[in-house]
Amino acid sequence: MPFNQALRLSSVLLAAAAFIGLALGTNLPEWLVLFTGSSLIVSLLRTLGVDRLYRVLERIRLSTTAWNILTVIAFAGFWADLLWVSADLLQAGVHFLLILMVIKLFNLDQRRDYLHLYAISLMAILGSAASTTDLWYLPVFLAYLLMGVWTLLLYQLTKESDEKSGSLSFSDESAGTFRRREQITPELFWLANSLAAGALCLTILIFFTIPRVSAGFGQKGSGEGIRTSGFSETVDLGMIGPIKRDPGIVMRVELPDRTGLQMDRFYLRGMAYDRYDGKSWTTRLSHRRALVESPAGTFTVRQGSSRSPRPLGSIIRQRILLEALDTAVLFAAPYPESISGQFLAIQSDPTGAIYLPFPSAARLEYTVHSRPTPVAAADLQFQSAVYTEAFGQHFLQLPESSERVGALAREIVGTKASAYEKAQAIETYLSRHYRYSLDIAPGLQARPLEEFLFERKTGYCEHYATAMVVLLRNVGVPARLVTGFLATEWNEYGNYYLVRQRDAHAWVEVHLPNSGWVTMDPTPAVSETVGDSRWFAASRVIDTLRLRWNRFFVQYNAADQLAVMRGLKEGTTVVRDRAWGSLSSLVAPVGDFAGKLLSRVVEGNMRLTIGFLSCIVLGLGLVLWLAQRKPWNRWRHSGLIVREPVVIGQIYRGVLKQIERHGISKPQNATPQEFLRLVQQQWAGAGESVATITELYCRGRFGKVILTQQEIDAAYHSLKQLTLLDPPVHS
Amino acid sequence: MKSTQLVSSIQENIARVIKGKSKVIELTVVALLARGHLLLEDVPGVGKTTLAHSLARSLDCSFKRIQFTSDLLPSDIVGVSIFNRQKQGFEFVPGPIFANIVLADEINRTTPKTQSSLLEAMSEAQISVDNQTCPLHQPFMVIATQNPAEYHGTFPLPESQLDRFLMRVQIGYPSPEEERKVLERPQSLHPAEALQPVATAHEVLALQQQVDDVLMEESLMEYLLAIVLATRQSDLLSLGVSTRGALALCRAAKALAFVRGRAYCLPDDIKELAPAVLSHRIMVSRAQGVRHRSFEQSEQIIQDLVESVPVPV
Repeated sequence: MPFNQALRLSSVLLAAAAFIGLALGTNLPEWLVLFTGSSLIVSLLRTLGVDRLYRVLERIRLSTTAWNILTVIAFAGFWADLLWVSADLLQAGVHFLLILMVIKLFNLDQRRDYLHLYAISLMAILGSAASTTDLWYLPVFLAYLLMGVWTLLLYQLTKESDEKSGSLSFSDESAGTFRRREQITPELFWLANSLAAGALCLTILIFFTIPRVSAGFGQKGSGEGIRTSGFSETVDLGMIGPIKRDPGIVMRVELPDRTGLQMDRFYLRGMAYDRYDGKSWTTRLSHRRALVESPAGTFTVRQGSSRSPRPLGSIIRQRILLEALDTAVLFAAPYPESISGQFLAIQSDPTGAIYLPFPSAARLEYTVHSRPTPVAAADLQFQSAVYTEAFGQHFLQLPESSERVGALAREIVGTKASAYEKAQAIETYLSRHYRYSLDIAPGLQARPLEEFLFERKTGYCEHYATAMVVLLRNVGVPARLVTGFLATEWNEYGNYYLVRQRDAHAWVEVHLPNSGWVTMDPTPAVSETVGDSRWFAASRVIDTLRLRWNRFFVQYNAADQLAVMRGLKEGTTVVRDRAWGSLSSLVAPVGDFAGKLLSRVVEGNMRLTIGFLSCIVLGLGLVLWLAQRKPWNRWRHSGLIVREPVVIGQIYRGVLKQIERHGISKPQNATPQEFLRLVQQQWAGAGESVATITELYCRGRFGKVILTQQEIDAAYHSLKQLTLLDPPVHS
Repeated sequence: MKSTQLVSSIQENIARVIKGKSKVIELTVVALLARGHLLLEDVPGVGKTTLAHSLARSLDCSFKRIQFTSDLLPSDIVGVSIFNRQKQGFEFVPGPIFANIVLADEINRTTPKTQSSLLEAMSEAQISVDNQTCPLHQPFMVIATQNPAEYHGTFPLPESQLDRFLMRVQIGYPSPEEERKVLERPQSLHPAEALQPVATAHEVLALQQQVDDVLMEESLMEYLLAIVLATRQSDLLSLGVSTRGALALCRAAKALAFVRGRAYCLPDDIKELAPAVLSHRIMVSRAQGVRHRSFEQSEQIIQDLVESVPVPV
């Protein structure tokens, strides 16, 4: 590919990479995305030489003045945008930048136009860097880096050849001028790519050493957080329903101690509610107190009310990466004992919910130690329990006029004596006799609970949980409603649960005299349509990569830098381990995925196995065939043909310069052979050397013959001889 | 290797008869290998006919000579359909054009009508008679001669006819030493008759094929086009070189490179051949005050134009 075309191509690709960065990172209006995208495609096609398109574009070619006028109009548009439409400097600036980019794309005539385009793309990629920390930025940035190196290299090369040929016009070639068609050789190709790789290495070095902020300061939707429902002081019945279809990711929960072991249902507790007024739940225990921080960074949660010695379950350690939400609640498996992370303060309320002082605008990472409450053996038998009045007011409260519900409760419980048995009976009854469905008309019904229990007999988690709490309270068992998330999506490649909006859930906590609060869930397990197909596995791998990216690159901050520095001082092992850890954590999930795919295929039926094996055999065969035929040799061969004339051409030009010093210059209209005769006449001593080089030059330049190393050495030798000769005797 | 030997043996063979004219012989072979036709323009008696004759004798192929006179008819060249009594029908009797090498002697002595009968034969290597198209023998080459010194009773060749000749060559007088060698030769036999063929028609066709594969580098192609463009833009000329002329120069340059044992063209090939290949295709403008097409003048103009075009480095 000639340099000029390659420069055009890489410039357009550079602009495209920057545009993709902006389009993904910021909220662009659709028309602008379409407009810029199609302009990029058109310029790309034009660069690649789609003739018809080129002809059309030539016809509508505008003058420089027209382009300048367009630019001025775009600038006016920028002010209008800034003042009235988007009323935001960053947004209006981005829009203006893209319009400018389109104008420049169609107006790439002179060298400065290229420089303008590069400046615009640089600003665009900076803008997108400021707006995002997502994983997709990595490939976009890599593409930008690669294209940037290519573009600058080609820009320099074309500049040199332009200056050499002395023509100022950049695009048109008149029939009379001869421009050496400069081509991209394999050497140049690899040189450019390795330069890009070198630049990347340098970038990584700078990344690890220079202090930085951990979030993009213009990040999309920053300060708002993902909208959630069910984690405020009041929850209307029916609020969780609409978000049960939202696949947005809320958090990821890593269980470092439970590698590979998958649990079916993993509850992440948010808030608990004690009062139900027939329509909505409220909490009257919302007075929060700050938790004690000991040691630094770790906050201990003390369970409030229960004084009786309780049986203790085994500790579950969770590392949670929580997206920015519009609630201050921190989620954890029941019941959190300690929480650590980079917090200034943590609060908790008497129901055991933990809060930040205010909602976080950025992603959070924290570790929680939780201890579930198993049912004590004593609670399996009947235990008489006497609750304090305050306790009863909170957890035995009932909405008015629920005689019908009370009758149903007594009917379900029958002769069961212990609180646990009663709870189990109600749980079983609800999950057996009611149908789970999200197709409930939204909006407030007058008596949603009665409607669910007696008329519709269809509902979702909130209805089930509310019904269970009210039924339990009707038979004198203290209970409360809990909202949170029920994680079901286990990512085996990263050993974590992926929690989405649609995993929002409501369940029940029952108070047993000996055990304390025990989690129960009347909602029947719904088999979600999250298939275990390979496609989903691939998406899980990508999500794992996203998590690692966030942990090791986006969240990499001053503290980590200090650690690296310290490690460098103490010895290289720490650094090596850390670097290796970062790298392998990015690579491992992919390898793991491949391994699992393989094992699944092998475990599967015979036909799949045979197909897989034959694929491997075919692939190996292809590799062997390629190794034998070496089709790339032909490519290299043609590359050499292009390279040799360059070398011998340089030598020949060296000869011309050398001879010119002695007053014999080559006339424009003289062929190499004629010039040789001229030299032989005027400077007999140089004749032999010039003859050797001229012969090789003609062969390499016009014959495109591959010269051997010896021949090139001989040419160099002759050139050197020339400098040692006595000057010609002028008669 | 074998093909270069073959080419040089043809040249050596002709050189045994035509003394001291290696340049002209080379051009003749170039015309043969480039599948072109040759126009020899010179005063009588310098060996035009002998050159054509010895080329034909050096190749193992058929040779016909047509003496162009003012009463010559097209049918005398291409052939005629004659009524055959035995078969009760017309029968085509091929004319002298059905040969590998045709010598059109004194081509400007005949009428334009007869001259034109050569047009199709020369460009398409076929003739059409009585709604019938007959291909000619391959290889096919016309060598025409004309006498520039005498204009009485001649019909100058039209441009279209001239354009079909690959090149126009002047033989010129030999040097005194060479001329003496000619005189010392035994006179009993025509020298060309003694020649033995060194190449067959098939071999010539193969050589022509190889000439097509000679490489002309892109910058040389542009150099060639720049020369052609210069003839079209020159003020001295009222008619520049046609595309056929550019094609002819390209083919001839390739053939010259091949004859000189190279597989690629050099700028020298183009520069050297430009006068011979282009000079008969141009028209010198009337402002130059020349009434006749002068060989020397047009060659000089082409030469100057070529010198004005920079050679690619």
